[in-house]
Amino acid sequence: MTEFCQFVLIGLVTGSLYALIALGYTMVYGIIELINFAHGDLFMLGSFLALQLVITIGVAATPGSAPAPPAPSTGAAVLAIGLMLVAAPVFCAALNAVVDRAVYKPVRAAPKLAAIVSAIGVSFIFMNMGLFWFGPVDLNFPSLVPNTNLLDGTDLRFTYKDLMVVVVTIPAMVLLTFFVRYTTLGKAMRAAAQDPTAARLMGIDVDRVISATFAIGGALAGVASVVYGLYFNTVGYQMGFQNGVYAFTAAVLGGIGNIPGAVLGGIVIGLVRALGSKYAGEEWSEALIFAILIIILLFRPTGILGARTREKV
Amino acid sequence: MPPLLDVRDLEAGYGPISVLHQLSLTVEQGEIVALIGANGAGKTTTLMCLSAVVKARAGRVVFDGRDLVAGRVPAHEVVRLGLAQAPEGRKIFPRLTVLENLQMGAYTRTDHDAVGKDIEKAFGMFPILRDRQHQAGGLLSGGQQQMLAIARALMARPKLLLLDEPSLGLAPQIVVQIFDVIRELNRQGVSVLLVEQNARMALKVAHRGYVLETGRITCTDKADVLLNDPRIRAAYLGE
Repeated sequence: MTEFCQFVLIGLVTGSLYALIALGYTMVYGIIELINFAHGDLFMLGSFLALQLVITIGVAATPGSAPAPPAPSTGAAVLAIGLMLVAAPVFCAALNAVVDRAVYKPVRAAPKLAAIVSAIGVSFIFMNMGLFWFGPVDLNFPSLVPNTNLLDGTDLRFTYKDLMVVVVTIPAMVLLTFFVRYTTLGKAMRAAAQDPTAARLMGIDVDRVISATFAIGGALAGVASVVYGLYFNTVGYQMGFQNGVYAFTAAVLGGIGNIPGAVLGGIVIGLVRALGSKYAGEEWSEALIFAILIIILLFRPTGILGARTREKV
Repeated sequence: MPPLLDVRDLEAGYGPISVLHQLSLTVEQGEIVALIGANGAGKTTTLMCLSAVVKARAGRVVFDGRDLVAGRVPAHEVVRLGLAQAPEGRKIFPRLTVLENLQMGAYTRTDHDAVGKDIEKAFGMFPILRDRQHQAGGLLSGGQQQMLAIARALMARPKLLLLDEPSLGLAPQIVVQIFDVIRELNRQGVSVLLVEQNARMALKVAHRGYVLETGRITCTDKADVLLNDPRIRAAYLGE
């Protein structure tokens, strides 16, 4: 029972990370019905930028150089985390919005396939940028958050690292929900997603709203990329693909275009991965994820929350 | 005084298809003008062209002294100039609440206090919307959606209101109610360009009318003259 609880805990923590990435897929799909295949690779570039930042300020070693720098003081670690949590989201937001303007906007009027193929192209470009940036080997991401157990005295492990994931991802999702539901721009996003022509008749600059959607999705990927690096302490140019596939699956599972659905889907994927690797074996966890996806889509083609509360964006 | 809206030789279409041919019409300050015509004559294209959602290929659309075509004014800027539309099919945002739909109508405005008052005014005009304000727009009946569409367009405080088939698919008593509202709005100073298949209702409320046939204006006169014109009666009034 304790073991089960432990793996549920792991599943919830990793699941909230997937959820954060999944939101970027689902928001963009909600507004322009594009599966942004480059989103996972954007996430990877975010973590690379974060790594570059900690190397530059001397908290982490340059990859390949022998002596690791001494463990940073708590103050330096907090500062580094804070810097990364600002820089990576800003970088990813800007990059995603620029790509929308430069790549997707020109083909907006063309058949949907044009944009999808463009997204696959951007994905490769991003991946190669990553390859060029830090090379093909996996890199150590500094462990700035201690691994001390917060549930000492019980049989469960819930470390500062786990806490960090929750403390960052949950407010980010709450903030997003609040933003989309109550702010003028958030309402304009939903309006543009539901009826772009009517939105233009209201005076909404739909292209600007789409850019903003890309920026927000990118920012969430940027947040996720920093949390991912600090949590797993390994990053590499291919991490975007694997995590992108999980997150995309989460978005589809929850009902693509649906914000609460993406969060729920992320949590489900996290739980399936954690429990699957425990009870079915690590090698089965991916097969299990996609088996569940197929089964759910067979019975609910619109995803878990897809039809009932279809809230696009 | 120059007309509020002065359209000259407007040409528009979709891809290889030309829809509007040298269309000219005017709306004076304070007027209700009806644009009548059969299905596919180009009425909706005309309105969408005025709102800059459909691009004009040639001609002029001078609104309130400004040429929207020459100035390449984008659709989202047109509203700001004082030209709002309640489009065909109502185009209510189905999963926004009634209140949020109204707020979107005021998207271009920054005077938030006045927006709140205008929402109250809209509720005064259509009390059913007040009762339903927290419901999703898509759950309203056709007549309620039409009321919401008009109220939403009014939230921009337009000088000119474009109405596309406000009577379409509505029960007769609702149609009467909608047209009463149009008359009342006009009394309050809003100019209206009204597109209708229900030519009789439209010409009864309008000052002047235009007849559109396959993308061309074929006839224009005072509304009561058109109402009594035997050709119009035969073609559009079912007599």
